Amino acid sequence: MPRSTWVVCAVLLLLTLSVRSSHLLGAESAIRFDHDVRPILAARCFKCHGSDKTEGGLTLADRASALAALETSKRAVVPGDPAHSELLQRITSDDPEYRMPPSGPALTEQEIEVLRNWITTGADWPVHWAWRPLEQPLTGGSAAAPIAWEESPVDAFILSVLKEQELVPSIPADRRTLLRRVYFDLLGLPPTYAEIVAFAADIRPDAYQRVVDRLLANPRYGERWARHWMDIVHYAETHGHDQDRPREHAWRYRDYLIDSFNQDKPYARFVQEQIAGDAMFPGSTEAIIATGFLATGSWDESSLQSIQEDSIDRKIARYIDRDDIVTTVMSTFASSSAHCARCHDHKFDPISQREYYSLQAVFAAIDKADRTFESDPQIAQQRAELVAALASLPARGKQVDASLLTNEIQQQAEIWSQGLLQKLDRWVPVRVKQLKSDNTTELKLLEDGSVLASGVAPEKDVYTIEFETTQRQVSGLRLEVLTHESLPMNGPGRQPNGNLHLNDLRLWLLGPNDNNTRLKLIKPMADFNQGGWSIEKSIDGNPATAWGIHPEVGKPHQAVFSLDTPLDFMTRPTLRVELHQVHGMSHLIGCFRFATTAVPGDLSTEQPPISPGLIQIIRKPRGHRTDAEKAALAEAYLKPQLQTELDSLPPPSMVYCGTNQFTAIGTFRPAEKPRVVNVLHRGDVQQPREEALPGALSVIPGLNGDFSGASSDNEGHRRVALARWMTDPTNGLTWRSIANRLWHYHFGRGLVDTPNDFGRMGSAPTHPQLLDWLASEMRDVETQGKASSSAMKHIHRLLVTSSTYRQSADNDPQAAKIDAENRLLWRMHRRRLDAESIRDAVLLISGHLNTQMGGQSVRQFNESPSNHVTPNVDYLNFDVNAPANHRRSVYRFVFRTLPDPFMDALDCPDAAQLTPKRNTSLTALQALAMLNDKLIVRQSQWIAAREHMRPLEDQVKAIYLTIFGRPPAADETQVVCNYVAEFGLANACRMLLNTNEFLFID
Amino acid sequence: MRYPPEHARRQFLFQAGGGFGGLAFAHLLGGEELQTERPLSDLNGGIHHRAKVRRVVQLFMNGGASQMDTFDHKPQLTKRHGENIDFGIKAAATSTPGSIMKSPFKFKQYGDSGRWVSSVFPKVAGLVDDLAFLMAMRSKTNVHGPASYLQNTGFISPGFPCTGAWISYGLGQLSDDVPAFVVLPDPKGLPYNNGGNFSAAFLPAAHQGVLIKPNAAVPIANLEPPEFAHDVTKASEAAGLELLERLNRQHLEARSGDSRLESRIRSYELAAKMQVSAPQMLDLAGETMATHSAYGLDNEVTAPFGRNCLTARRMLERGVRFVQVWSGAGGAAQNWDNHGDIPNELPFIAGQVDQPIAALLRDLKQRGMFEDTLIVWTTEFGRMPFTQGSTGRDHNGGTFVTWLAGAGIKGGTSYGQSDDFAYQTAENTTWSYDLHATMLHLLGIDHTRLTYRHNGIDRRLTDVHGHVIDAVLA
Repeated sequence: MPRSTWVVCAVLLLLTLSVRSSHLLGAESAIRFDHDVRPILAARCFKCHGSDKTEGGLTLADRASALAALETSKRAVVPGDPAHSELLQRITSDDPEYRMPPSGPALTEQEIEVLRNWITTGADWPVHWAWRPLEQPLTGGSAAAPIAWEESPVDAFILSVLKEQELVPSIPADRRTLLRRVYFDLLGLPPTYAEIVAFAADIRPDAYQRVVDRLLANPRYGERWARHWMDIVHYAETHGHDQDRPREHAWRYRDYLIDSFNQDKPYARFVQEQIAGDAMFPGSTEAIIATGFLATGSWDESSLQSIQEDSIDRKIARYIDRDDIVTTVMSTFASSSAHCARCHDHKFDPISQREYYSLQAVFAAIDKADRTFESDPQIAQQRAELVAALASLPARGKQVDASLLTNEIQQQAEIWSQGLLQKLDRWVPVRVKQLKSDNTTELKLLEDGSVLASGVAPEKDVYTIEFETTQRQVSGLRLEVLTHESLPMNGPGRQPNGNLHLNDLRLWLLGPNDNNTRLKLIKPMADFNQGGWSIEKSIDGNPATAWGIHPEVGKPHQAVFSLDTPLDFMTRPTLRVELHQVHGMSHLIGCFRFATTAVPGDLSTEQPPISPGLIQIIRKPRGHRTDAEKAALAEAYLKPQLQTELDSLPPPSMVYCGTNQFTAIGTFRPAEKPRVVNVLHRGDVQQPREEALPGALSVIPGLNGDFSGASSDNEGHRRVALARWMTDPTNGLTWRSIANRLWHYHFGRGLVDTPNDFGRMGSAPTHPQLLDWLASEMRDVETQGKASSSAMKHIHRLLVTSSTYRQSADNDPQAAKIDAENRLLWRMHRRRLDAESIRDAVLLISGHLNTQMGGQSVRQFNESPSNHVTPNVDYLNFDVNAPANHRRSVYRFVFRTLPDPFMDALDCPDAAQLTPKRNTSLTALQALAMLNDKLIVRQSQWIAAREHMRPLEDQVKAIYLTIFGRPPAADETQVVCNYVAEFGLANACRMLLNTNEFLFID
Repeated sequence: MRYPPEHARRQFLFQAGGGFGGLAFAHLLGGEELQTERPLSDLNGGIHHRAKVRRVVQLFMNGGASQMDTFDHKPQLTKRHGENIDFGIKAAATSTPGSIMKSPFKFKQYGDSGRWVSSVFPKVAGLVDDLAFLMAMRSKTNVHGPASYLQNTGFISPGFPCTGAWISYGLGQLSDDVPAFVVLPDPKGLPYNNGGNFSAAFLPAAHQGVLIKPNAAVPIANLEPPEFAHDVTKASEAAGLELLERLNRQHLEARSGDSRLESRIRSYELAAKMQVSAPQMLDLAGETMATHSAYGLDNEVTAPFGRNCLTARRMLERGVRFVQVWSGAGGAAQNWDNHGDIPNELPFIAGQVDQPIAALLRDLKQRGMFEDTLIVWTTEFGRMPFTQGSTGRDHNGGTFVTWLAGAGIKGGTSYGQSDDFAYQTAENTTWSYDLHATMLHLLGIDHTRLTYRHNGIDRRLTDVHGHVIDAVLA
């Protein structure tokens, strides 16, 4: 477009704007419905005449219902005609039978006057701004390289409102200030002095645009903006609550965010992937990882996994967990406080309780858990083939698979089975003679030689088993702990979670006349050890330690022990084993069996995976086997080989996400189909009402929020329906929400100052037309391909190249009298750096920032086991020089209930709640953190170490250049030199890092 | 038309008392958004009505202190010991219900009020006439995490400000050189939920509980430079802070009208003051031998909790408004979560706190601090009347006991009753909301009016509930 055309457009634009704005502001002097009228109706009328209440046939839900005929055929509101408006007649009546409201004091005269005025002037009842259809207020498109105020649509909107208030914009910020501002804004890092010098010297007209393009293409940009998103969605890597367990696979979602921002993913796709990526884009690994979004919140492991499944607390926790998901989805994408309708209809916005539970129903099958996914398609295929081969193996049925009967396979199977036989025969079952429990356990010998525990499960017990071996030589003892259907989780333990703890196993050789000898056991080995509870603990003589098998419950396990001195007798010895199980809480063995071996040497727990039936086949001479038996043998031979091959493939990747594809842990099991969600009266699980069907909100005109068509049993369909609803071009909430968030992060304050609440209780936009312009620009760029880049970077570019953004942050006392908080942007906001920017900037300045991207989060603390699920976390003694300290802050492992004290003092959120905007506090403890935290102290030393060989003045100049990006003034050189001379350069660096000049962006 | 600041609140600042003059330091007290009202001297420091209490010490027994084995005497349990009674639940939190278990401890009546106390609290028993008991406290949940959140924040989910944070937000600091809200954890470790229990959540960070571990090598994070800061000396710090102020003032000259810059300058003055005053709070050397032994510091069983109680008193004296002292760490043992063995586990933990608590009550009285200090003893829930395993008890949110003492409290009273088995509340049920409403009430705060807008809702410590428990107020 030629320049002259632009000017014409801009003039037109201004004209239109001023007309519209004056209309907008003019309305403010008259009665405003939301501001003046609604509060009165809400306080005095809605109780009986609210959205879904119809006392006397009157519903005050919207203008149409207020104007409709009543049961009496009168009308509550007749626009322009107060005398015929029943509402006004009622509230002004003296007759107590007739007067409204029926209870409580009458309306005040002032309130009546407001309502009368409102009706007289036409009973305007506008749709709340956020729910209105989204239309771009003006045509005109966006300038590629705006220089003057009039040339950018963004500035035109800002300027027209400023003019109305007789405000003028501030002068542009100087180049150093601007560069520092835009670097921190887009990258979260400061420019180097060299970059400042280069920019200051660049006289090309598009010098600034070039910087912006360069920064938007820098991978640090994705890291910076992903961190903002992590605030919004309360991302952290532990569960929160009392069992604050680390989530080892959550980080992939963080990397997904960084990648998405860097590749400028279309926003609609970004939203869809996070709500329902797995279902909408099957085959896309990043779309699966994106559903990490649904699992960013806390998770109550105690209530959802550890406690008894049929306790009321489990039920409560499920609703609360889904509430977290619903709150996160609706706040993040729609800036809606739908979660306020959990216990009752929303008090201010037209959102019913039923709609809220419909949103819960969308996530009725979702839990927060680790799911697997394939990140390498080639391996995925190999795995699929092996799994299919394994699945086809038991091709027994009536027809025997001939391929299993070939001589070659049978020959190999024979060799294999003979080897097995030797191993099998190593262990010989014992003959149990006597069983005893020290407590209430009833021990019973079963047919297969195993012993089953039943009766009241005591807290602790010692089982004593006397048995005779069938061998005269004994060099090893085997303890099998076995599953049984009578046991919790099928055992093998009696703890409700299926676990057991064997604190001490003692073996005695029984001699005549109670002359018993304790036998020393060595080289213990088990097929599985619980973390921290290994088999060695069962013979260490320490009653506080034990062998356990959690979480591998529900399957048999075995442990073997060698005798330090093997026995060799003329007669079969009688032995006694004591199983001390004194941990408490019924950590008892539920079913077990002993065997001994005479084979000396290293024992192993390797258990031939064969059934008693197969043993019979193996023991038959080869010629006597039927075809079916031969096939069974071949299968048994082939299966472990395929299994080994399968096991040798790299395991699938894992991501912590919202899913129903996960391995059960105890009673925490995936929902096969959506669980039933009820509308809960007063939010109480003990007062369930009708079943809620999946759906969203009905507040957007023309957008259907009813998904009951997608109801069925397919949980993915429900989320896909919500993702489509959210990203529908008619859903203005979504586009306004993201446009406002981008504005918020660029300018330090949103056009709507409550980024998560666009409802009536939220703030009104300071520039409604600008917001709508940006929102529709973003939407149209995506749906109509209006710009060369995708929507996000397009808007970033528009905002940071605007003159509004490039203003100086300096104060003007005259302007401050009119708009003290600078809500109209007559200058740029000055901002304190956020915690991550401070940390990263200090590392960059010291030359120690490691820009490695992605991967597992770095734990900037020492971690050790505690006597609880939550580990001990020690920030204080963590090595300040550890490489983990040098990564960007976005890669920090954020521990929900044990936050880093340094970051905490600088207002880094702890992710217990959504953080649509950060507090910036200034406290004494924060000052102490900036002065004394070891990271700051160590980096100060490192900055100093780089410079200390030079003359004093050069040292001071050097640290000014690196820390502030400018040379010191003469008086500054003087005082800082004096200080350095006496107390050293490192101390001076530390003080400079504590200055307001460093910590604030102008 | 003018655009007045949306938060006209800023104009109401703590202009009186405590050394906090002027608008500029608003940020030091709470960041950008401040509580609307300020404490008024004619309301004795209250903001809505006259305050009776200026400071609070809360003693929190982590794990769920057993009501029927401490203060809730139930002869019926003795009578029906061993019977299997169907309470209509299939599952308690972590076990299936066993048979009725009597308390293994002897109960006796004490004081003029004739309050029953079991043998696990012999010393506190001597002070029952100073205590007001809430005998029918109830929780919405039987799980530690949510229950601890409920007792501390009024919500069963994480992410809400705790009582101390709300009080700090409502009333600010009593003195500018000590924090408003301090947490003293059990030296063995943090409670269930860790820092979640003393978080300011969405309130400004200034209101967060300051975690102090009097016995640790570094009691307060970042109060002093790390050991490897060899070049940091008293002199370098004094001169450094002077240099810093000079540079900051110069920076401010060109940026007048930004109160945050001024506040940050001031924050370094306060930091320096805190560096002096904080170690003094923790230094027990000046306390007499008699005090040391009264608090049980000469006995290794009572010393850890006793030291925290004595430290708490010193903090209250120096102007800390809310001190929370924890007994018991999160985890399977050494706390009040006695699943396995009430006869042994409960006396073990109660023996650690009985003497120190009695000493703290006596000490506060003796120093006249009872006149403006509220003491609250509480826990997250009670325990079951039936056994878990052979002699343990499982979690029970149905009923538990809390007691109050000090300013504004009518000693020797009680409110509410549990049923014959101490299984559920039976009469005058009280919730955390009521306890919190009462605490705020005593501090001169109407709990319905202390609010903060977060994510679309005006949040309160008492959610949408809460009644002041007049029956226990003097």
